[in-house]
Amino acid sequence: MLCLAVLLALEFTATAQSISIQLDGGIFKVVGLPAAALRAPAGGWQSVFVVYAGTGDVPPLAGSYGVENGALLFRPQYPLAAGPRYRAVFRGAAAPLEKTFDGPARNLTPSARIERVYPSASVVPSNQLRLYIYFSAPMSRGEAEQRIHLLDADGKLLRGVFLPGQELWDPNNRRLTMTFDPGRIKRDLTSNKAMGPPIAEGRRYTLVIEREWRDANGVAMVEPFRKVFRGGPAVRHAPEPKTWTITAPSGGSRDPLVVGFGRAMNYTLLQRMLTVAGPSGEVAGAIEVAREESEWRFTPRNPWSAGAHRLIIDTSLEDLAGNKIGQPFDIDVFERVTERITTATTALPFEIRSAR
Amino acid sequence: MQYRKMMTRVILAGGLGVALVFAAQAVRTPASAVALMATGSVGLHSAGALAFGPDGVLFVGDSTGGAIAAIDTDDRTPARAGSKIDVQGVDEKLAAMVGVMPSDILINDVAVNPISKNVYVSAARGRGPDAAPLVARVDASGKLTLLALDNIKHETVSLSDAPEANPAARQNPRTQTITDMAFVNGSVMVAGMSNEEWSSALRSIPYPFKTAGKGTQLQIWHASHGRYETQSPVRTFVPYSIDGKDYVLAAYTCTPLVKIPVSDLKAGAQVKGVTISDLGSGNQPLDMVPYKKDGHEFILIANSSFGVVKLHADNLGQYKPIDSPTVVDVAGAPYDKITALTNVRHLTPFDGANAVILTASGGGGFGPAVGPMSIRTIALP
Repeated sequence: MLCLAVLLALEFTATAQSISIQLDGGIFKVVGLPAAALRAPAGGWQSVFVVYAGTGDVPPLAGSYGVENGALLFRPQYPLAAGPRYRAVFRGAAAPLEKTFDGPARNLTPSARIERVYPSASVVPSNQLRLYIYFSAPMSRGEAEQRIHLLDADGKLLRGVFLPGQELWDPNNRRLTMTFDPGRIKRDLTSNKAMGPPIAEGRRYTLVIEREWRDANGVAMVEPFRKVFRGGPAVRHAPEPKTWTITAPSGGSRDPLVVGFGRAMNYTLLQRMLTVAGPSGEVAGAIEVAREESEWRFTPRNPWSAGAHRLIIDTSLEDLAGNKIGQPFDIDVFERVTERITTATTALPFEIRSAR
Repeated sequence: MQYRKMMTRVILAGGLGVALVFAAQAVRTPASAVALMATGSVGLHSAGALAFGPDGVLFVGDSTGGAIAAIDTDDRTPARAGSKIDVQGVDEKLAAMVGVMPSDILINDVAVNPISKNVYVSAARGRGPDAAPLVARVDASGKLTLLALDNIKHETVSLSDAPEANPAARQNPRTQTITDMAFVNGSVMVAGMSNEEWSSALRSIPYPFKTAGKGTQLQIWHASHGRYETQSPVRTFVPYSIDGKDYVLAAYTCTPLVKIPVSDLKAGAQVKGVTISDLGSGNQPLDMVPYKKDGHEFILIANSSFGVVKLHADNLGQYKPIDSPTVVDVAGAPYDKITALTNVRHLTPFDGANAVILTASGGGGFGPAVGPMSIRTIALP
């Protein structure tokens, strides 16, 4: 064994000039090795060839080894990333070889911006429950608390406004859900009594989102975002479909069905919690939310058929304050309940009349 | 958030004798559930909340994928007595192994295998939507090993109502973030928060999954002063025994710490918790560890902004259900602040006398933790 090692060492010495480490297509290679050196050593390839992606006392990069076309290969388990420097060390030669590589270059051109924030109105209830922030590009997690602020009318930073906790993203990291601290919204809790609701009626606020928030590629946004709004009266009662207005189009047309709620509703839930059923079942079509989320418009894919229709309402549909159909956000159990809806859906009938 | 909790509950309920019997059972040969698991890619989209089940099975919450995976860690060698963990710069080590900067490692949860006492860490490699899920084992020597999530024995259960393998699923913006899990009485109990509606679902999924379907679901409510009732999502919870009766101690997102009888957790039920403590505004409990010391019961609680507190839990049975407007639910359980423990991001039981903490070097609340981060055992105070 010792003899083999000596022979290999001599051979490496003889050919050390031609041995080199290369990075090719995300694979680290040791090329120029003599044939005798292409058999895995007793300690495994990691005993002679390792790649480090960090400094100090850190483990080597995870990956797998192979020999192809006379070269020793190391395939990282994960693709190389922008940021770290990769230091490849080969100790199988008489003198250790070491070479450092950069990861792929990062595109530093900002592209992400805030597209929309819901609720869209300039006056929101003082018991507003959630904000939905839509980005134009996938964003980085873990920055919301650092980048989103609420200022009072004097520009003073307000603390303890939002619920600390997991960031609630959609799967594409393009929509973030922020929740106002429910402990401050819910009447009579310690937080509510000590600090009051996050938004006070009649006061002016500015929502500020910093430009420095990084997108999924680690690049800051194009510009910051500001939205000024005022606190309005709290909304404590459940939405009542019986009070909604339905403007039905004529049969044969593709004019939109228009539903007015009389108050602003939760934008995200309006995308999936209202459906239309006709004589032949569910009607396919496109949804549009208008008038600061107080109106829902439905344009059918095919012209309306005359006859009885129904607007099917998921009772989990919420208004801005988290009041669901038949169920306020915080139920006052002292109040006399005249009607309690316990079904998953309710419906409003309407008629599509034939065009004259 | 784990089997650790079940272990703790057993210790509290039955004392050391029961604990020893339990430990002996835990190292038995793998049960059929593990033996029947298929080997292959787990298919995780994210790796979040962790909880240990029997036989070294690790439950991994996948919020993005809307699923729970049960993974056979094949880690069933009992720990040596007195083993400890102390790993500095765990984020830096993990980053180096997967080839990113430490700031691109987001550690999501920490759990201890009750058999081997190895620590398991769930994390994301990257911060964007394509971040790769990671689960790493940290042993007593400080060595980190990545679980081969692309080739490991596992089974999964989907929490989504959408058809599986639906190509449009990625376009569905609705997700249910799993905030905590625990293995309780043969089922995985899952708390979560929706990114759309305000819901308070607590789901219980019998394990093994293959025969279980998606389990049952109930609503958790909270009442303040007996007057206002609200659906209240649970942030973190732990099984616990009070006067011989099984409870879940839960921390709501609206801050109070409550107790809920396990017997109330029935499918479709609307369950109200009874407040036992309210640690104040702008704060949320992150993790809880019940334990017994010197003949007294305590709950160690790591908080988002209130530091670590030790709740005196000898008299939790005295808190009665709020069923009358005259009952005031302002918390009474006393607690001490443990000022020696700072920047604790995760807290989990290790054994009856020790816990494991993950600490950051800085950063507050739920904001980005400032590395380097460390994992170490601490003596329960």
